[in-house]
Order: sequence, then structure tokens, then C-alpha cells
Amino acid sequence: MIKFKNISHAYDSKSVVYDLDLDIFSNQLTCFLGSSGCGKSTILRLIAGLEIPTSGQIEINNVVATENGVLRIPPAERSIGFVFQDLALWPHFTVYENIAFGLQQKKRPNVKHTVSEMLDFFDLRKHQKKYPHQLSGGQKQMVAIARSLVLRPKILLMDEPLSDLDVKLKRKLLDYINRLKQDFEMTIVYVTHDHREAFTIADQVVVVQEGRVAAYGTVEEIKKSDNEYVQYFLEY
Amino acid sequence: MKHISILWSVVLLMLLSSCGKTKNEVVIYTSVDQVFSEPILKDFEQETGIKVKAVYDTEETKSTGVLNRLLAEKNNPQADVFWSGDPIRTIVLKQRGVTASYHSALAQDISPIFKDSEGHWTGFSARARVLIYNKNLLTDDDVPKSIFDLGNEKYKGKVAIANPLFGTTTFQFAALFSSLGYERAKLFLSSLKKNKVVIATSNGDVKKRVVKGEIACGLTDTDDAHEAVQEGANVGVVFLDQVGLGSLIMPNTVNLIYRAPNEANGKKLIDYLLSSKTEAKLAKSCAQMPLHKNVLIPKDVPSLDAIVPMQINYEETANKLQEIQNYLKSWVEN
Amino acid sequence: MGRELDHKLSFNIIFWSVFIFVGLPLIYTFGMTIGAWKKDLGLLDGKLFGLLMRSGLISLIISALSTVIGVVLAFFLYKTDIQFKSVLKIILLIPLFVSPYILAVAWRDLFLILGLSSSWISYVGMIGVLTMIFVPLSVLIIGSGLSNIDASLEESGLMLTSYKEVFWKIILPLIKPALISSLVLVFIFSISEFSVPAYFGVKVFTTEIFTQFSAFYNHSLAIFQSLLLVVICIALLFAERQYLAEAPFFSIGTKGVKQKVYQSSTKLGLWIVMAWLVISVGLPIVVLFAQAAQGGTAVFLKSFNLLRHSFLNSITLAFVGALLLTLVGVVAALGYLGQGRRRYQDYFDGMLLILFAIPSTILGVSLIQFYNHPALNFIYSSDAIIVIGYTGKFAFIAAKIIKNSVRQIPKSLIESAEIVGVNYWLRLRKIVFPILMPSIFTAFLVGFILCLGELGTTIMLYPPGTEIMPIKVFTLMANASDFLTSAMVLVVLAVSLIGVLGIYGLAYWIASKREKRYD
Repeated sequence: MIKFKNISHAYDSKSVVYDLDLDIFSNQLTCFLGSSGCGKSTILRLIAGLEIPTSGQIEINNVVATENGVLRIPPAERSIGFVFQDLALWPHFTVYENIAFGLQQKKRPNVKHTVSEMLDFFDLRKHQKKYPHQLSGGQKQMVAIARSLVLRPKILLMDEPLSDLDVKLKRKLLDYINRLKQDFEMTIVYVTHDHREAFTIADQVVVVQEGRVAAYGTVEEIKKSDNEYVQYFLEY
Repeated sequence: MKHISILWSVVLLMLLSSCGKTKNEVVIYTSVDQVFSEPILKDFEQETGIKVKAVYDTEETKSTGVLNRLLAEKNNPQADVFWSGDPIRTIVLKQRGVTASYHSALAQDISPIFKDSEGHWTGFSARARVLIYNKNLLTDDDVPKSIFDLGNEKYKGKVAIANPLFGTTTFQFAALFSSLGYERAKLFLSSLKKNKVVIATSNGDVKKRVVKGEIACGLTDTDDAHEAVQEGANVGVVFLDQVGLGSLIMPNTVNLIYRAPNEANGKKLIDYLLSSKTEAKLAKSCAQMPLHKNVLIPKDVPSLDAIVPMQINYEETANKLQEIQNYLKSWVEN
Repeated sequence: MGRELDHKLSFNIIFWSVFIFVGLPLIYTFGMTIGAWKKDLGLLDGKLFGLLMRSGLISLIISALSTVIGVVLAFFLYKTDIQFKSVLKIILLIPLFVSPYILAVAWRDLFLILGLSSSWISYVGMIGVLTMIFVPLSVLIIGSGLSNIDASLEESGLMLTSYKEVFWKIILPLIKPALISSLVLVFIFSISEFSVPAYFGVKVFTTEIFTQFSAFYNHSLAIFQSLLLVVICIALLFAERQYLAEAPFFSIGTKGVKQKVYQSSTKLGLWIVMAWLVISVGLPIVVLFAQAAQGGTAVFLKSFNLLRHSFLNSITLAFVGALLLTLVGVVAALGYLGQGRRRYQDYFDGMLLILFAIPSTILGVSLIQFYNHPALNFIYSSDAIIVIGYTGKFAFIAAKIIKNSVRQIPKSLIESAEIVGVNYWLRLRKIVFPILMPSIFTAFLVGFILCLGELGTTIMLYPPGTEIMPIKVFTLMANASDFLTSAMVLVVLAVSLIGVLGIYGLAYWIASKREKRYD
């Protein structure tokens, strides 16, 4: 479980997250939903440890990860996979190398075998020698997800990974993500501005409005919410 | 990683190589063109076994690169000897406390005019200021006889001089000021200006422009003129003012540096440069006129005895130079 | 966080090294002359500012010409499919390898052959020659700007209007940062250039500084005047930084950007590029060859023998210098990786800029006055002093080249490695450096070329008895015949080209080894 206790965070003396108190449950898919610039991406970065909150405390599986501006567990030790919004595929590595890099750095055994499994799972085997710029948009997304899963993280953070895809591909990937949760037994935190996407896959939905939680609950609960902002946001 | 370690060893080696200094060496800075100075320094090295480390001057920083370096290095001199193409810069150094006294036994028969009485510099092999002209552009009758002719309407736009702020041209103008007096010298300079004299970057450049026929005639040094003749250019060379003022004679000078790191070797090198042998070599390579008596010289090299010299005191001229420099600067610029 | 500590450590080491080795000498020298500034201030008059304005105007003309020609050439070389593109790009660089002074000599001779009068030659000659020297720089800058335009941006324009309109309304505005970079850099290069205006007899601000320095031995005034020059250069770069995001100076490789390349229906582009190459490269070389040939083949042999001992020395020094200045450039540029406060990085940048803009003689004298101390003799009397001079002088260029690539690296590329537990140094080695490699290589190559031809500072610093190629040529050409001078220049050109090809060879060799490792 990921616990936010009174988390506030500011960039360049401009606040982006205010007094956040939140529990994200293990082995569930929690969606952060909100318009752009509402602070939902920052929440992901706080979980990853790429940002240290100015105040408050974050616990991951009952261990304090950061408190009051001090980093207790560095990103690499949090067992996290991160799919960045821009995917961040290393342009000088092939598909195979992109997926294998983390395994090699962590000196895991059977790199080839593990990567091979991933390539099959994501249908990328025939592209393994290609470079990122030779792939289609959907293929890139797959590589980015495969790369983030290869170390078997306990938590998977996804920052609008499907934003640029057509409906058909999106469907396919959403199915994948649902399968992932079951197959890999992970806590998934998923950030999107698209409520349909969120409602398709989420167990829990957090609606974020200007750095604050507007509503939190299951899909059904959110749909029934009487919060004005939530109703407005769901209208279109 | 391997590449990086190789590169580090290269850097380290370079640093270390500087530490293992051999002591039997002498460091000389010279403003004399490398083509002529280097062979003599190499001979010295072979004959004495003393390693010569030289810093040469270039066209671009003519006579002033090494000079500024000597001034900047004053507090911890690196050089033992400075060999200058003319006495003026050496006198600047003397006045700023960069030179040391050394009376070489080999210079005893050199006329006292060409020596510093305190031994801070000694002259040898001299050049003179001459006029070089292109034979296609000027007939023998038209060739100027006096430097003052250059201000005549007849030579309008036909004369080149090097920038008088640098090099031996400064020297020549300073000598004019000290022997003619301020007013007459200024008058002469304005006549040159009125005549649209071309200001070239260096004496070599004057020579080049005359050789190419870009300009009819110009003031330069004997060594440059000699070279033009040797290259087979259709040019003539005249010593001006042989009736009257005389031609400016400019000896090479050599001096010891104050607190020279290799003083003993420095003195040996000074002795070597002041020998008749060196004068003979310089006469042969660049037509420099020996100051010692009875030095064998090639036929085409003029002898000092055959030239009417301008009567000047070098130290006074050097002082005059510093007085007139601001005037010269504005003269060049306007 | 580890990344910050490690970065701070390397940044501080290099920053303070540069500061102590090159910055401090300059401050020391400036400090020594402060006492005289009051007197110097009195000497600042309208005439001097007039001169400064004139130098500025001339430099502005040169930078404008160079940028305009740069746009035309870069367009054909980077945006169309003309033949022999890659060969032409290399030939274009040749004027950068040749000392400006030598090109000036060749051009003046050529002007005379063409029968142009001397007075006409001075200004036009100087502006023309400097423009020809700096056009390659403009082409490099603008070319990479053009390569970074995503094809879709142009194609969406082509849906609406003619190609001409797209060029004026879309392409040019998109490469505005590159155009400004080209203008500013060429301006700084030409306003601090000394040898060419001196040769053409044009009085500019640098020749004035040189006169104070070399005719009057007035070091304090020369230093004071050079401060004015530094102020102008800094003001310009500051303006560039304030009003424009810095231009992508060199692209981080065109991987990733889909480029639009136009088919040239006519041979016009090829003709224009060839015409430029004939004028800027062909003619001077022909003049040099023609002059050298008058001396027969013996003259080439003679120049080779005269310069022989300086080849290895010069190439080694330029190589080590390029290595060091690239290292400084990399560290200065890495400060701009990701986000965060940039203040210290800006200090570093500013320091490198001052070292670059200061006239070379002043830099030389500063280094002498600082290092010529018994305790520092091991540096001053060794080749290390030359390398220090090179690094101080050109690290700015390396930093600028690399910095613009650093800024194009998305932060997420590094964070995604951080998440899988890759430490700072390994991230640099595995992610950042491979991506930056093209621009690091370019910085190294440009640094090598600049070091190999450096004269102004080296002449003040070279240890007695050391033979350095450009210095040897200059000291010899004072009294050498035209044909010997020309032959020497051609030999230097050949050696420089061999050096550059050697570096390319080395790069390919390393790249191929790397590739093998991944297989």
C-alpha cells in the first residue's frame, strides 16, 4: 500500500500539490484523473521518488520512503516501473537493448530468457533489432511498457501512456494492462485525462483538481459523486 | 576506460617530460628572422654541445612579441640572451631593467657607437635603411636620391613605407626626428602624407609590393632588398642621402638578461654571436654588413666603409622614439 | 540525491580547475592594472568609441553576409538531394583549417591579379576574406537547425501554399535561433580577429589594442580596452539568451527527427554550392599552388623539411588541447541536463565566454604573468602552458556545441535509467554520452582544428625550443619567398587534413568496436 500523509509539493515556489492524504491499495489499478496541469503527473513522480515532497510523508508498503523533504528510499530501491508520457525510449538502443538494459545493470541472471519472454508477451519479437525511431506509435508504447515490467516491479506507474493512440490500439493495450495486473500481481497507478479510459480499467479512481483530491472511490462511486467538478469533468 | 587511461598517461608524460631538464642549455629570444638566426644557433649548438632553446618572432608580432614576453617575464626570467634586429627595442628593455651588463672581449674592436657604454647591449652585423624601386616603373634618372625627394609631387602615390609604429621604420623616423629636430621632421612627414604614401604592414610587404610592381618604390631594410635582388626581381636598391644626412645604419644587438637562469652559457652564446665568424655568415645569408674589420664578405654585400652613415646616438634615438610615438600614431591614423 | 552530489563533484572539480588555471591568471593581470585604470579612463575619447562602433559595424556586415550565404548553402546541402553532398560538406570546411592571415595573403594576390586597386582592396578585401572564413561556421550552425525541423511542419505548410512561401513563412522562422547564433558567434569571431584587418591595413579596435600593446608597451591600457570588447561580447550573448531559446547549434543526430528532403529538379543548387566552393576554396588554393609551382617541386620538399619537426608536436598538442577543452565543455554543458537552478552553470558559461572573447595577446600575457613563477615553472616551461592556453581559449565553443544537444535530451530518458538503479556515472556512460556522442565529436573536431591553427596566444607562450607548426610558418614566412610561403601553407593544409581524417578514422574505429560489443 502507498500512503500519502499531508503531502504538499511546490516547484519554484509554485505549489502543485496541496495537503494530500491518500491510500493507494496494493494489487489494484488506481487511476488519477484530471485535466492537464492539475498535478496528477507530479503525484506519480512523488511516488517514484523523482521528486521529494516539500512536506509530508510517503509510505510504501509500511516503510517510510520520504518525509519532510528527505529522501529515505531512492527511486531505484522502490521496485517501481515507470512508463513516461514521452515513453523515454533510449534512442541509441534497439528494442532488445532497451528492454535488457535494466536487467544487465541489476546483474540479473538469464537476461536473454527474460527479455525473450517479454518480447513474446508484447508481440515484439520481430522488432527486437529495430531502433525506437523505426517503430510505430503503438509499438513504442509496447516497448516502453515491456521495459518497465522486465524487472518485475511491485508498483507500475503509467503517465498517460495511451494518449496518442487510436481507439482500436487503445482497446488492445487497455486489455493488456488488465491482464498485466492479474499476471504480474502489481499495484498500478495510472494517470489520464480521459475518464472513459479510467472507467474501463480502474479499480479506484482519484479525481484531481488543482492539486487537491476532488473525489476518490470506485468507478461506481465516482459516477454517482455529487461533487460539482467531477460532474463537470465527466460531462464530456 | 582503456582509452581514457592511455590519454591520461599522455598528459602525465607531457608534464613529466618538462621536469627532466638538462642543465647544459641556453635560452635565447630573438626578433631576427628565423631563416637567418636558426642556422647560426644550430652551429653554436654543434660546436659547443650546449643545447639552444629559442623563441622566434613572427611577422605578425614583428619585434614586439618576444619583447612583450621579456617584459612580462621580468620577475622570473626564462631567457638568457636577447638577440634583436635593431638597438631600439633592446634599449627599451634596458630602461625597464630587463637587461644585464656584459662586456664581451670579442667586441673590443667594434666601434663604441655600436655599443652600450654600460655593457647592456652590444651591436654586430648591421643593416641599413634603403630605397628599393621597381625598374619597370622608375628609370635610373627618376630614382630618388634623398629621403626628402619622397615628399615631392613627382612621387605622389608611388611610395610605400611600413607602418612606422612598428619595426625598423619607427627607428628610421625616430632617427630623423633626433637629427632634424621636431619641426623639420614633422614637415617631412606631412609632405609624405600629402603625397599619399602607402602604409604597408611590414618591410617585407613593402618589398613584395615593389617587386610585384604594385608600387614604384619604398623604404625597406638591406636584407629585404638583397633578397628581392637574389630572387631575380627587376628591382634596384639605393642608399639615400649619401650627400648630406647619410643612411641609417642598424646593427643587430645582443644582450644578457638580468638574472638569466643560465648566465655562463648565455655569455658563451653572446661571444659566439659577436665573433667575426657569425658576421661572415650573416653577410652571406642576408647581406648584413660586418662591424668587425677584415671580415670576408660576398661581393654583392655593401661594406660599411662605402656608406655615409647617419650620425646618431642610439640611446637618444630610443628616447626620441618614445616621445614621438603618439605623434606617429596620429600621423598613421589620419 | 546521488545524482546531484556526483554531478556537483565533477562540476566543481572542472569549474575550479578552469577558474584556477585560466580564470585566476586573467583576474590577476586585470587586478595588477586596476591602479592605472583611472589614467586609462581619461584616454577613452570619442575617437575610441567611434573606432569601436566602426569595428562593430564591420563585424555586423561580416556576420550578416556570412549568415545569409550560410542559409543558402545550408539549404542546398541539408534540405535538397544534390549530388556529392557529404564530400561537398567536408570541402566547405577547408577555410576553417587555414590560418586567416594566409587566406588574406592569397586573396590579396588574387585581387591584384584581377587588377583591383589597393584602396578598393582594403575594406572589401577584409570583409570578403573574413566572410569566406566564417561561412563554414554559419553553414554548420544553420544546417543543424534545418536538420532538426520535423518534416510534418513543412508538409503541413505545403498543403496550403507554394514552396517559396513555406520557406519564408515557416522554415526561416523555425531556424531563427540558429540564425541568431550564427550572427552572434561570427560577430564575436570577427570583432576579435586581428591578423586579417592588420594585413589589409584596416584600422579596427583589435589593431588599436595591439598598437597599445606592441608599440607603446602600455599593457594596462591594452587590457582596459580589451575589457570593452569583452563587455560587448557578453552583452550580445546575454541578449541572445534573453530573447531566444538558444539555437540547436548542432543536432544530436538526425535519428528521431523525420526530415523533409527536396528533390532538386534543376542543377541550380549544385551549381550554387560548387560556385561557392570554387570561390572560397578553389581559387585561394589555385593561387597558392601557382605561386608554389614557380619554385618547382623542390620547394615543396624544402617546406616539408622545414616544418617536419613540428608536425607531430603540433598534432599531439592540438589533440590533447581538444581533449581537455571537450572535457571542460562536456562538464559545463552537463549542468544544463534536466531542470534545476542554473546559476552556477551560467557562471561557468560566462567565464568560458570571457576567456574566448579576450584578445589572444592579453590572454597570453596574463598566463605568462601568472605562471612565470619559480614554483610554477614546471607548467610554464613545458607544453602544458600551451594546452592551458588552448583550453582557456576554445572551451567556450565546445561548451556551446554540447550544451545545445544536452538541452534536447528529455529528462525522462535519464530518469527512466535512474528508476532501474543505474548510478550517475553509469547513466552518463550508457545513456547521456552515447546520445551526445555526435556533438561531443563535433566539439572535439572543431576544437582540434582551432587549436592546430592557434597563433596569437601560442606565440606568447610556447616554451623555448618547441616547434609549433603555425608559429614556424609565420616566423619563416617573414623572409621567405612567395613560393616557399605558399608551399608551406599547402603543406600545413595537407597535414591539417590528414589530422582531421585521422580523427575521423579513430572515431570510426572506436564506433565499430562499440558495435561489436553489442552484437
